Amino acid sequence: MSTESPHESLDALLATWPTADTVLSIDVQQVNHHYGSGEMRKQVLFDNHLQVRAGEIVIMTGPSGSGKTTLLTLMGTLRSVQEGSLKVLGTELFGLGTAATTELRKRIGFIFQAHNLFESLTAFQNVGMATELLGIPTSEAKPQIEQTLHRLGLGQRLHYRPKALSGGQKQRVAVARGIIHRPGLILADEPTAALDAESGREVVTIFQELARQHQCTIVIVTHDNRILDVADRIVSMVDGRIVSNVLVKRNQLLSQFLVQIELFRVLSTSALTKVADKFDLQSFPAGSEIIRQGDVGDLFYVIGSGQVAIEMDGQQVNRLGPGAFFGEVALIRDQPRNATVRAVEDARCFVLHKADFQTILQQSTSFEEELRKAIFSRQ
Amino acid sequence: MNRTPLAWKNLTYDKWRLFVAGCGIAFAVVLMFQQRGFQHALFDSTVEIVRELDCDLVLLRPNRFALSVETRFDRHLLDVAASHEGVAAARPLYIESLAARLRRDQQRAQPIRVLGFHLGDPIFLDRDGDLAPQLAALTAPATALMDRLSRAEYGFDFSSSAQWPQTGELNGRQLAVEGTFRSGRDFAHNGNLLMSAENFATYFRHRGPDPLGQVDLGLVKVAAGHSHEQLRERLQASFGAEVDVLTRQALIEREMAMWDRNTPIGVIFTVGTLMGFVVGVIICYQVLATSITDHLSEFATLKAMGYDNPYFVRLTILQSVYLALLGFGPGLVLSWGLFQFNASYTALPMILTVGRIAFVLVATLAMCILSGLLALRKLFSADPASLF
Repeated sequence: MSTESPHESLDALLATWPTADTVLSIDVQQVNHHYGSGEMRKQVLFDNHLQVRAGEIVIMTGPSGSGKTTLLTLMGTLRSVQEGSLKVLGTELFGLGTAATTELRKRIGFIFQAHNLFESLTAFQNVGMATELLGIPTSEAKPQIEQTLHRLGLGQRLHYRPKALSGGQKQRVAVARGIIHRPGLILADEPTAALDAESGREVVTIFQELARQHQCTIVIVTHDNRILDVADRIVSMVDGRIVSNVLVKRNQLLSQFLVQIELFRVLSTSALTKVADKFDLQSFPAGSEIIRQGDVGDLFYVIGSGQVAIEMDGQQVNRLGPGAFFGEVALIRDQPRNATVRAVEDARCFVLHKADFQTILQQSTSFEEELRKAIFSRQ
Repeated sequence: MNRTPLAWKNLTYDKWRLFVAGCGIAFAVVLMFQQRGFQHALFDSTVEIVRELDCDLVLLRPNRFALSVETRFDRHLLDVAASHEGVAAARPLYIESLAARLRRDQQRAQPIRVLGFHLGDPIFLDRDGDLAPQLAALTAPATALMDRLSRAEYGFDFSSSAQWPQTGELNGRQLAVEGTFRSGRDFAHNGNLLMSAENFATYFRHRGPDPLGQVDLGLVKVAAGHSHEQLRERLQASFGAEVDVLTRQALIEREMAMWDRNTPIGVIFTVGTLMGFVVGVIICYQVLATSITDHLSEFATLKAMGYDNPYFVRLTILQSVYLALLGFGPGLVLSWGLFQFNASYTALPMILTVGRIAFVLVATLAMCILSGLLALRKLFSADPASLF
């Protein structure tokens, strides 16, 4: 069980769901990509789809040659989109002109595996190359650069050249250069590979701050298991295809929520996480019908917040609050809805589709038993 | 806002490489200066005699297309010229070189240019102040002054400890050289003698019953307050085809142009200058291209950050200009030293004028910028997609 109070974790959980005004930072639709031409032409990306919300931290994993780096360079405008649609920070990249590409690049922060610092410039000047490009006045940029470098443990080495810095320090200067101009999107390739545990942690902590406070979206290609915990979403690629795209942070919070409900307690942790991934969130304004008696039922509901009333033949028979579930009978027995459920106040429910629900039933007999017990106790 | 001086920093980071690069550029600069210097010196030498004349306009026969062509005009035309308003004086200069042979002791007789003038005519600028104290010595018969830049083969001793007079034979007759003056040799002449008109007449009787009746150059001084060009036009109009009237500067330019046109000197030294230029381009390209390839991933990172091609063009051109200036300074100093050495060794007038320095400076800048633009292709090829 979480040490957080259920209420807090519920708020955090609800916040992970997109709402109508959610902004997409990255929107990949049907993207294919080829290298080479003629007979040497080889497809490296196959029908990729990916949507990332502003402020999300995405970790991309996969074996080398799986296409994750290609996808990253496409997102970063470093390669041209050949097929499909790729929107980054609201700009369609397919057929984007040179000038627009240059402008867009200024809103993206790049952190490469190699530090790529100019040997001739000090740490401060290397970072300054990023602020200069955006025309940030020196008076404004100076304290920002100093503060960022300080934050990364380089406060004593502002005016050192890369030669006088260790590998980890150089990488941190490169990180500072990638984030100093508050980009809307940060693309990082193994940013922590050259860092010790402590510096690596400091870097990802800064990433988290940028994501939370400035709605900065961060895509990290990494094999560093130490930082997997910061991911909101983990995308795995194999052979040019996205084979899994999991909202880990949300699923974790949802599991924490579900496990408080007796029904779900019977599931193993891994089964629970799988179930959590299938849930959607639906909002219902006060007074609206969630399900109507007599309709065909195809969803299972768990109340996240708010109160609902169960009405049978126009008579209110019960009231349910957060943590309660309903809608299961119609799914088990393949019958129409036997009651109407109405939101008494603004309510948000986690919903599971019939097919997913039945999969759980088939896989876990204890879940089925628990469910029957619950239904029985209600009658 | 203060821009990070990346061009300068990258160029000066590796001090040793910068030193080698600077030496390379300086070498090319010296090469260009030397080639241009000799070219100018050879042309300058042909008009050195005119540059020493104190006159504003020069009268000469129209078919005297080069100073060494010995065609002359009647002396009375000078009187006509003198009668024109605005002419302060019109004086003759007599020149003999084809018919003049000088020998000393048992040496072979060698051609020499002999200049004759009336000792009372101040036709020489005499910048060194050599002439004035020696004019008295020239009043005696069979006397002359000798150009101390004349070739050593004449057998005269021009060292500072030399005893004067030294005697020789001009056209088989005794000549006492009473001292020296300074002029210079050129393509056509290995040395110069200067003597009074009276003595000139005695050595060159073949010029006619009145050896001084025919004048080689007429030297006109224009009176104060009169336009040289207007007077030139008036004189030319009155003389018609008999005599050409040129300003002193026009004569200098015409003479140099003649040598440029009729000798391969211009081509030879232009090729030499070009060689220096090409060497410079190669050296400069090597330096700039290495500077770029060594930092290719850094530049690719800048591209990924959103730096555009115009930025890289500016960066590279700036680096080229720095390199050009860093090489030009030492190159100029070195060239100046070499010019002094050359001038004393070859007796050629090696002159560094502002215009000539500017020419090499522009050539050096062009050289470095050209190599910079060639090196830019490497920079444009930096692919940020390769960084991931």
